[in-house]
Amino acid sequence: MESNAPSRLTAIALTFMAVIWISPFSWLILNAFNPLSTGQLEIPRAVGLDNFAQAVSGNAGRQFINSMMIAAGTATLSVIVGISAAYPLSRLKIPGRNAFLWTLVLLRMLPAAGVLVPLYFTAQRMGLLNQLGVIIALTVLNLPFTLLLLKNFFDTVPIELEEAAYVEGASLFQIVTKIVLPMSRAGIAVVWFFSFTGAWNEFLLPLIFARVQDAFPMSVGLYAAFGQQGAINYGFLTAFSIIYAAPAVGVYFLLRRNMNTGFAGVGVKG
Amino acid sequence: MKNQANPWLTSNLWVLGLGMLPAILLIGVLLYFTAWAFAFSFTDLALVGRKSVEWEWVGLENFQRLFTRRGFLESLWTTVIFVFFSAIVGQSVLGFLLAAALRGTRSTLRSVVEVCIMLGWLLPDIVAAFLWSATTAQTGLINQLIIRPLGLPPVNFINDYALPVVTIANIWKGTAWSYLLFSAALDSVSREVVEAAKVDGATPMQRIWLVQLPIIRPHIATNMLFITIWTFTYFPLIFAMTGGGPGRQTETLAVFLYNQSFARGNLGFGSAISVAMLVIVGCLSLVYLRMLREPK
Repeated sequence: MESNAPSRLTAIALTFMAVIWISPFSWLILNAFNPLSTGQLEIPRAVGLDNFAQAVSGNAGRQFINSMMIAAGTATLSVIVGISAAYPLSRLKIPGRNAFLWTLVLLRMLPAAGVLVPLYFTAQRMGLLNQLGVIIALTVLNLPFTLLLLKNFFDTVPIELEEAAYVEGASLFQIVTKIVLPMSRAGIAVVWFFSFTGAWNEFLLPLIFARVQDAFPMSVGLYAAFGQQGAINYGFLTAFSIIYAAPAVGVYFLLRRNMNTGFAGVGVKG
Repeated sequence: MKNQANPWLTSNLWVLGLGMLPAILLIGVLLYFTAWAFAFSFTDLALVGRKSVEWEWVGLENFQRLFTRRGFLESLWTTVIFVFFSAIVGQSVLGFLLAAALRGTRSTLRSVVEVCIMLGWLLPDIVAAFLWSATTAQTGLINQLIIRPLGLPPVNFINDYALPVVTIANIWKGTAWSYLLFSAALDSVSREVVEAAKVDGATPMQRIWLVQLPIIRPHIATNMLFITIWTFTYFPLIFAMTGGGPGRQTETLAVFLYNQSFARGNLGFGSAISVAMLVIVGCLSLVYLRMLREPK
């Protein structure tokens, strides 16, 4: 049977690791639930949700929706554009396709700040200095990685299945939606999740694209909240941070089952 | 493109082409922006002021400045240290060790450790920066839990040991990716191979070093490639924690680029920095790709 069960020592070491990993959160939690928070690490004398009430009372709701639209929009657009290009790339023997994909990934190594200026000018000219602009810009920046990952996932779907379906009279659309997509579901989930968290965390682009406070996503809102009420209000900041961090964590738990399978495709081929 | 064996593809070429169109369009946009950034690097374009309108071509002047002025080479060195210790040593090695140790462990322990590591990764950059600034501050967790009980005076880590602190923060944040990738890779190593090595008398160390590592070498190369790229250009965490300071101790190239382009407004020089970064990361990637292609 399974003989490489962990020794007691390994188990203790792992538990220790986990505790260290989680320990920085103590400050966040202690301050967020302390109505009299001072930003110090201390056991609160009172526990309450006042900070959260304060955090959601202001612009947070609006910013939450903005963030959600940007993140879900970017992830969905990336996956749709990615799938419709990655499937042909995976199946058709287009000469030099791998070199092409890797060149794109190489180009994407240009730091985002480097393309920020042309990005801004273009968006300004096209009247896209808004959420749609942020979504499109993030999709453009995501696309090389999305294409590469999705193509690798599609490569792992056996073509014999598609042949069999064709013989049975299935159309291209049916083959893709009934066979290819379900079989690479885990991979698509991983790509969607990456794009979602990436866009949810994105700070620089919305900061430059969002011209009015109503358009701020949470990342910019959090940054802006720093100097607002003169002295830093740590209770508000920590509570806001927790609300801001929650959706990405939530999405992870929703998609967790797919993660390991999805990641198997990340490695392998070039 | 004669693919007679796959008629459902060949008879629908135009549909497939149509599907690729949006991606091609967006990639065109990306190439266009990149070309623009390249062009900027040969000009003295500025963010504001006269030079923002009446800019001129200055040839290779910006690139000369990379080497003659202070800043770039120092930042490059800081970046190399940061990437080496936080990504290559920290995230990769730690991620692999965790994946190897958790392989085949009880599911509760595995889940707990996995969730703890993932929490760091899932936390938005700015929140992570708060957390680590607070943890390493004079009144923070490390001082209250370790330094003070030892009877030592409190240390202002974020100020006195800025580079190690951001390095550790990045390890904390990024290990999950390497862990997940290695974990999936190790799952793909067939049990029989490992069992056979065990029967032949290989120690656990040897089983990892001589059997599993060579098998997952492509995964290692891919992982290295991705995390090197990401860490090399990683910006928000460091910027939010230290802004590059104190002094220039944590001014990695990404922060240097931002400071030059947007704080000082030298867009031309900033573009030269990003082109230089692209060249450096490109060379590194070629090394990794060679590692990936090379037959065992």
